[in-house]
Amino acid sequence: MGAFVASLGVAAAWPLWLLPLALLPLLRSASRRSPVSAVSAAPADPLSAALGAVLTAAGMLALGGLILALAGPFRAGETVTRTGIGAQVSMLIDRSGSMNETFAGRQPSGAEESKAAASRRILGAFVGARAHDLFAVTAFSTAPMLVVPMTDRREAVRAAIAAIDRPGLDYTNVARGLGMALSQFGAGAPGVSRALLLVSDGAAVIDPRIQAQLRAEFAKVRPNLYWLFLRTKGSPSIHDKPAGEDTPQAAPERHLDLFFKSLGVPYRAFEAEGAEAVAGAVRQIEALERDPIPYTEIRPRRDLTAYAYAAAALGLLVLVLAKLAEADFLRGASRPGDARAAQADRDPAPRRAAA
Amino acid sequence: MSRATRPLRHLPIARNLRDRRFQALAAALALALGAALAGPLPLTRSGVAVLAVVDITGSMNVRDYTVDGKPASRLDTAKAALRRLVPDLPCGSRLALALFTERRPFLLFAPIEVCADFAPLDGALDGLDWRMAWEGDSRIAAGLHRAIAMAGELDTDLLFLTDGQETPPLPSTGLPAFEGRPGAVRGLIVGAGGYGLSPIPKFNDRGRETGFYGATDVPQENRFGPPPADAESREGYNPRNAPFGAAAAEGTEHLSSVREAHLKALAGQTGLTYAHLAGPDGLAGPLLAAATPRPLPGRFDPRPVLGGLALALALAAFLAGLIPADGLRALPRSSPKSRM
Repeated sequence: MGAFVASLGVAAAWPLWLLPLALLPLLRSASRRSPVSAVSAAPADPLSAALGAVLTAAGMLALGGLILALAGPFRAGETVTRTGIGAQVSMLIDRSGSMNETFAGRQPSGAEESKAAASRRILGAFVGARAHDLFAVTAFSTAPMLVVPMTDRREAVRAAIAAIDRPGLDYTNVARGLGMALSQFGAGAPGVSRALLLVSDGAAVIDPRIQAQLRAEFAKVRPNLYWLFLRTKGSPSIHDKPAGEDTPQAAPERHLDLFFKSLGVPYRAFEAEGAEAVAGAVRQIEALERDPIPYTEIRPRRDLTAYAYAAAALGLLVLVLAKLAEADFLRGASRPGDARAAQADRDPAPRRAAA
Repeated sequence: MSRATRPLRHLPIARNLRDRRFQALAAALALALGAALAGPLPLTRSGVAVLAVVDITGSMNVRDYTVDGKPASRLDTAKAALRRLVPDLPCGSRLALALFTERRPFLLFAPIEVCADFAPLDGALDGLDWRMAWEGDSRIAAGLHRAIAMAGELDTDLLFLTDGQETPPLPSTGLPAFEGRPGAVRGLIVGAGGYGLSPIPKFNDRGRETGFYGATDVPQENRFGPPPADAESREGYNPRNAPFGAAAAEGTEHLSSVREAHLKALAGQTGLTYAHLAGPDGLAGPLLAAATPRPLPGRFDPRPVLGGLALALALAAFLAGLIPADGLRALPRSSPKSRM
């Protein structure tokens, strides 16, 4: 009961200042006034007194109900935390210019799909399929860009993914992007599964100084790391050793893979050379990220305005019927000398009908 | 005829029906019943769909605004203005966000609904940072032209927030030609910055502030393309070897103020409206005036109107008791008997 009262609220508080007006029926009546020379001359009539009290109460109910209804009463909604299956997914998406080429490394023509368009389609479906995941989107090329912070608003995440097949920028500066994607996890609840999904079509050398910082960040956040490498035909695979010197400059993809493996977090790389392979990789990630995650469900507030109007209408109904059944003390007394008795007779009956 | 029903015949029903207070109470009853049963009425409201393009080039770091008594940069003020704009837009309006540096806008996300998705939208606006910039140039005319094309593709209006400082300066030939149709995309150019010149902060490659730009740090004149008309009168002018004159260009390009004349010229060229950003408030008014109103399904709740009328009528019925219905034959009395 206490919780129920605590959950009540009004949409606008100012009409409540009018509530004292609901006391008006104590002072005034809506009935016609009949002059009587001496009220005390009438015999005490408990029925009339009771009817008068009922009418006063009806008036207070009508005015009070209308004022309360104007304030818009409601029972507050609540946020319920439940546990579902999902994860916090921070997506780090390459927006460099080469993402706008096809997997064959050409400008898309006709029905061909660019790498960015394929990832847009497949990631959009991924976001739609996961009911209780939280998503964050970070883009990177020359600089990292925070696109959407960690959120459960699927529409916003989809809008961010819808933008990834727009013309990209110049470079693939993955290190700073990783830093920002890690910062998207925030403090978060303990025990929540976290996944960092890197979607890129290339790699870059990570500055050794930044490597140390990233290592520390990864050790702190401990996400599951997935690298969806959209490999262009003919370009080196992440497993290819270069013919010459095996340096990060010569084979950035291979060395980024080695760096990820050395981080000590669960890591999987998916090399996709076509849209089907991308879809397959995303399906695997979806199957892997199946841990309990707390999510919030919002129960809507319940509008009580209609009840307040119904209560006011009940009070008004009593008043209207009383007005309809109003008798005139003097005019109605057609039989002289019997006026008082007639009234005592007459009045209670219609009132009873009215009530 | 029973004793109970007999008096009903003597009721002055006709007189009761004529009673103003009866009529008021009956009308109030009808209104209250209507309000109790009425649902929201469908209504078409107007909202907007806007692509907000925020200039994040270096000159937007100039601190020539004051927010809460502290100096605030143009970018911070523009961000605050956008964050305050979002709750001021009618629900159902949509906002897309793009960054501008170099010569083109970079779309961060397609339009997002401003009420249901308020939290991520607000977070994304808060996350805007000059460090997201990918190039130092600031070719605003080119960026604006492409932003207009992008807004056209997204089927939105445009809100372009910039200080109007072109880096490098425009060539002597003036504005680049606008290839689109002026007025096809409506919207607002918002000029950020004060009217007086202020120094532009300089940052090192770690993102730390290291001072201000000096006169020799920035190009003061655009020396691509044909020389200006007054070049011949410059000292050391030589048509082949020194077409721009022999002296180094001097100017105030290392200082920044809002370039209203330039922005107004751009607005005129592209059919947009110009407004100055005076502070973090008041962006909604000019935007709603400049943007295309888009029909949105809305709801109108008729209950406050019905309930307010009912309350007024009911109060009138009670307050009318102050004046006796049959004239001033007796002083008002409030004993139960006199209420008959």
